[in-house]
Amino acid sequence: MMKFLFGLLFMIPLTFLGGFWLNQLVWFVVSFLFIFSFSFSGLFSSISYEFGGDLLSFMMLFLSFWICSLMLLASEKIYLKNSWTGFFMFVVLMLMLSLYLTFSSLNLFIFYIFFEVSLIPTLILIVGWGYQPERLQAGVYLLFYTLLASLPMMISLFFCYGKFYSLHYFYLSGMVNSLFIYLLVNMVFFIKIPMFFVHLWLPKAHVEAPVSGSMILAGSMLKLGGYGMMRLMIMFQGIGTLINVIFIGLSLVGGFYVSLICLRQSDMKSLIAYSSVSHMGLVLAGVMTMNFWGLGGSLTMMVAHGLCSSGLFCLANISYERLHSRSLYMNKGLINVMPSLSMFWFLLLASNIAAPPSMNLLGEIVLINSLVGFSELSMIFLMLVSFFGAVYSLFLYSYSQHGCLYSGCYSYFSCSVREFLLLMLHWLPLNLLVLSGDLLVLWI
Amino acid sequence: MHICLIFSGLFLFWSTVFFLFSIYFIVEGLTWFLEFNLLMINSSSIVMTLLFDWMTFLFMSFVLFISSMVIFYSREYMASDIFINRFIMLVVMFVFSMMFLIVSPNLISILLGWDGLGLVSYCLVIYYQNVKSFNAGMLTALSNRIGDVALLMAIAWMVNYGSWNYVFYLFQLKGDSYMNVISYLVVLAALTKSAQIPFSSWLPAAMAAPTPVSSLVHSSTLVTAGVYLLIRFNFCFNEWLMYFLLFISSMTMFMSGLGASFEFDLKKIIALSTLSQLGLMMMILSLGSYELAFFHLLTHALFKALLFMCAGNIIHSVGDFQDIRYMGGLVKFLPLTCVYFNISNLSLCGLPFLSGFYSKDLVAEIMSMGYLSFYIYLIFYVSIGLTVCYSFRLVYYSFVGSFNFLSLNSVYEGSVMMIKGMGGLIFLVIFMGSSLSWIIFPYPYVIILPLFMKILTLLMVILGAWIGYELSKFFISYDSLSLKNYSLSWFLSNMWNMPVISTLGINYYPIIGGSFLYKSLDQGWSEVLGSQGIYSVIVSGSKISQIFMNNSIKIFFVLMIVWLMIIFMI
Repeated sequence: MMKFLFGLLFMIPLTFLGGFWLNQLVWFVVSFLFIFSFSFSGLFSSISYEFGGDLLSFMMLFLSFWICSLMLLASEKIYLKNSWTGFFMFVVLMLMLSLYLTFSSLNLFIFYIFFEVSLIPTLILIVGWGYQPERLQAGVYLLFYTLLASLPMMISLFFCYGKFYSLHYFYLSGMVNSLFIYLLVNMVFFIKIPMFFVHLWLPKAHVEAPVSGSMILAGSMLKLGGYGMMRLMIMFQGIGTLINVIFIGLSLVGGFYVSLICLRQSDMKSLIAYSSVSHMGLVLAGVMTMNFWGLGGSLTMMVAHGLCSSGLFCLANISYERLHSRSLYMNKGLINVMPSLSMFWFLLLASNIAAPPSMNLLGEIVLINSLVGFSELSMIFLMLVSFFGAVYSLFLYSYSQHGCLYSGCYSYFSCSVREFLLLMLHWLPLNLLVLSGDLLVLWI
Repeated sequence: MHICLIFSGLFLFWSTVFFLFSIYFIVEGLTWFLEFNLLMINSSSIVMTLLFDWMTFLFMSFVLFISSMVIFYSREYMASDIFINRFIMLVVMFVFSMMFLIVSPNLISILLGWDGLGLVSYCLVIYYQNVKSFNAGMLTALSNRIGDVALLMAIAWMVNYGSWNYVFYLFQLKGDSYMNVISYLVVLAALTKSAQIPFSSWLPAAMAAPTPVSSLVHSSTLVTAGVYLLIRFNFCFNEWLMYFLLFISSMTMFMSGLGASFEFDLKKIIALSTLSQLGLMMMILSLGSYELAFFHLLTHALFKALLFMCAGNIIHSVGDFQDIRYMGGLVKFLPLTCVYFNISNLSLCGLPFLSGFYSKDLVAEIMSMGYLSFYIYLIFYVSIGLTVCYSFRLVYYSFVGSFNFLSLNSVYEGSVMMIKGMGGLIFLVIFMGSSLSWIIFPYPYVIILPLFMKILTLLMVILGAWIGYELSKFFISYDSLSLKNYSLSWFLSNMWNMPVISTLGINYYPIIGGSFLYKSLDQGWSEVLGSQGIYSVIVSGSKISQIFMNNSIKIFFVLMIVWLMIIFMI
């Protein structure tokens, strides 16, 4: 674990001196080096200095590394316009560093600190490289939604320390049968994942963020919530069995409501952001069932959603760079000018509605199994979520791709190989990793 | 080499190979079962299962043959399209999805084909960039999505058995309560895919797709996927479900037959006739003869594909007009096409010794022999009559009589590749019924019926032909009964209002609900109780404290002294 930490630290000079494409290359090298140090067992490995990881950590870390590599690939425009390229890459590096420490620490307090730290680079990304003045409000929303719930969590961590005399994950297996502590600890994860009703920061942040910010938000930041809950739900086995059902219900109904809200979005990024809320609602419900299938399915769904919606944000950005609008009223008939890009739209949206052989389907199947096993009544809203997921995805596809081209569009340029590579690197792992689905469902 | 020729040749080759395989498998009574284990979770394996028996091979060979002909035909039909490569690749993807569907007897791995069919057919329906195809594509994809969701839910129930290879459980667990739920969900999925009654409206709408697609996708393959799934699944259906299926399918058959008799769009008439034949297959399936359903599925695939290809040729020749009122007398201009069209039409009607006769007549006689109820008997024979009725109406409208097309026209039979593609199918349309019945049935069916019931089918055919002829005679001075009873004829011709119900009737609440939720929850209460509410509380709080700050500094000093005094006194 330490070797990657130091590797990342020593990349700091490279961000300012190395140039854009060298950094890009190094990111990919780090990603692949990380795969080689992957532990394929469900047990914790590479343990040193309170760091280490099991399959859950490794999958999340790999996802973060991968998304960070792709973030640079997607943000070529920053390099071309030379808008603080070095600083941008530094921010991405800091973001990865904090995510790395969050996911690989075995100590709850270190987890908590770097969970908070990861907000800062994201905030700088949004405020620094965002598009519109509203990005300030979005940044405040992003920061304070999380902070509001995370400071109580810190206090409850001290409570846990007093109870267990350690904040190591291994010692957190006792029971904390207090509704108060349950809410204090989990509320920050609900906000982060985000649950319906506390999701308002997400669409705002996504809409205002540059493509790299959206990618890391959808790809890794939301997963912090799921990760934290998967680690800590073991503390709440007693109280959880009593009140988890409320949150399962809330997230399933919320998933359906958010799907309906998606139908009324005219901003592509906002639509994709709301669809994230809907999918992460399923993840939340899966974790809350606290059964084997639910946890495995949640991890699968998180990885799948990270790749898929990050890819969709890339696509939205590719359209945005050409038409300078994310509005569905302007992005029309793109299949006529960019048929190959339209294929990627379709492939990624098909993955978004859990079409085979994507990981989303595997995640959805496993999650549906766990939720229907939990209660047959959840079938109703699962069906609705799944159906309306298709509705808004097809709505997005057909509105943006089908029909005649927007006639106010003055000039246009077609897709570059870099962009196809970017999309392929999202889509390929998304659909090939199914073949090693054991990695995703057997982490416990 | 042109992409059409490559895939056409490839598919023809594989079709032949699979046909030989299927004969070999019938003769040897073989079944191959292959499994790839993808992952195992809690001792339940998620596997990619491939089942090869004569049924799979035969169906695959038919699908490949028809798609080979259709792709060859598209070489000319879509010749002026600049995106022909995309078109052909989509069709090929569709055929692959169909293959995956046919060979997978596993609820999870069948999704690969099942969802693939839905998605690719969506791409094909919206192939043309107009509003009609946009709407039709949405309707098609979302109707099919209901079936996908039902299958996903069936997977969740199937997990109780520890495996999704349903073929192992159907016999043993018939009547089990979990199996009942699974069978209901599977029937729901099949009803959407095969466009049975509550979901019928997408099939005629999907005619917005290019005609080769209609020929391959919306007649012989995609819509039969539902029937095929039921053929595989029918062992576990309970009695109630069979009755339900019988009722739904008979209604579909009757509804679409009646609707086709009122329709003026050439492709929609054929689409509705597909719907009625699907109803027929479902009907005989729900009466228990799944082999007969499969037999009719195969012969129907042949003549319906040819029928659509002929329709495409006609549409192509008359300058993309689809309204049959513009046609008439076409037999003089397109003689060979009309011959093909008539042969497949008569085969559809079940005229003796064409391929449709063998399956349809057998279905009718098995139906009569196992007499169930008067309602079923009546509706079945009326629907058979209606099939002939709209077919003859169509023939008289478009081929016979006076030429009603625009005065500036160039209608001639010049499309050689299309004719060749159609010619590949015509022999099968004529011969395949008898050949198939010899191949797939180990012994002939024994039919024992009184003379009247035996010839009832033939009588209905003749009666239907006569009515169809009468319907086609329509002149301006006629006292039109359907115009007098306008609301009734609107109801019957518009598929019992199903297209309206399943679009406008359904999308109102989600859309209004979406805007309501967005306004009142997302931008409303969540903000008021969440971020903006906290913000305003903080603002007003800091305003109050600002009032204190506005006071003179002397008061602060006094306050401090008072405070210190209090502290010291305690």
